[in-house]
Amino acid sequence: MFGKILFATSASPACDSAARVAFDMARKYGSQITVFHVLGIPGKGDSTRVVDVRTGEEVDADQEYIEGVHEELRTTYAKQLAEFPSAKLEVAVGVPFREVLREARKDDVDLIVLGASTRQEGGYYKRGIVGGTLHKIAKNARCPVLTVDRPAASFWGGFSNVLFATDFSKASDSAFQFAQSVARQVGGEMHILNVLELAKIGQVAALTQEGIEAKLMEARRKIRAVYGQRTEGLPLTVEVWEGTPYVEITKYVREKGIDLVVMAHSTREVDPDERPFGSTMEQVIARATCPVISVNRPDKLPQAEGGEAGA
Amino acid sequence: MAKKILIVDDDASIRDYLTTLFEDNGYAARSAGSGADALKMLEQDAPDLITLDIEMPEMTGPWFSRTVAKGGTYDRIPVIVITGHAGLQYVIPKAVASLTKPFDQAELLRIVRETIGQ
Repeated sequence: MFGKILFATSASPACDSAARVAFDMARKYGSQITVFHVLGIPGKGDSTRVVDVRTGEEVDADQEYIEGVHEELRTTYAKQLAEFPSAKLEVAVGVPFREVLREARKDDVDLIVLGASTRQEGGYYKRGIVGGTLHKIAKNARCPVLTVDRPAASFWGGFSNVLFATDFSKASDSAFQFAQSVARQVGGEMHILNVLELAKIGQVAALTQEGIEAKLMEARRKIRAVYGQRTEGLPLTVEVWEGTPYVEITKYVREKGIDLVVMAHSTREVDPDERPFGSTMEQVIARATCPVISVNRPDKLPQAEGGEAGA
Repeated sequence: MAKKILIVDDDASIRDYLTTLFEDNGYAARSAGSGADALKMLEQDAPDLITLDIEMPEMTGPWFSRTVAKGGTYDRIPVIVITGHAGLQYVIPKAVASLTKPFDQAELLRIVRETIGQ
């Protein structure tokens, strides 16, 4: 499972939690890991001047500078790299999301691991991701994308309870395939959760409790109809909760001791840059106490090979 | 009969410190250096409260907590998280408190008293 992991990092403390997850998973599943850093956005023409994505300053990305960045990466992740001598370090110049996607395609990776943004937007609803980078990577990646935004969302030793949160979108189907594949591979339990977003189905005050409960029952039936057959042999829990999706998902993770959330980065949602409080997935990433994987395509399912890694 | 506390921490000095602290304050304390040992000790004699480290080799605190929760039998035992890492205070669902090392022993004892009494 997860034969190749691409850990895309800004090499800042904001990515420390993601680094832990990436290397812990590589150890557990015997993965080849690449530490990947995008240096900056190039200036005009053939110039080697780039705008460093971390500092916003314009620097001269000549060979010496790039080697310096390599060295900085080696120092930042010295402890982890000591355990993974075969780990690769790669540096690229360009627009971050494009370079990450390019590297992932080039190496045909099985999982991209991302850390949070170095820029913290103000307010209670923290936008923990760099602009639309997560959105663009999650939407276009051919493999699953795992984003870690807080130390609490770490890989704690395995995936025994896998939560697939669905809105029944087409993209959700790929996420489901991935989630049930992981659950089967690890011999874990599968949870399927749909959240009835009450505000979307009419004024809450106009809904009777029987009306809500009818909708809940309908959704439970739909989950069984759409996914039930494909979970044969898997310990399965089906739940439908009403409320605000990211709140209910976060609560479910906490209450049920979920180790991994798998969601589609729904294409039905408004561009996260235009939403004041971020997408559902972004909010779940910011709040859940476990890693969150977004899957939009069925191309990469975890393989049966792999196991404990040696150093 | 003294209330029983199970200390789960891979650091022997922390285990010794907490054992002494709790016993000096009228509790019966046992300790486990790993999540696996703690699970065995739960079976032998269920405590009234668990203090739990987060980052332990072999079995992390959250993994221990999930294993206990799955079993169903011991998931009602209150847990106090004692961790050296800021940012991990809330990783144990339903923990009653979380203290970061170095912690105030008076604060710890107050929380223990509030949770399981004297």
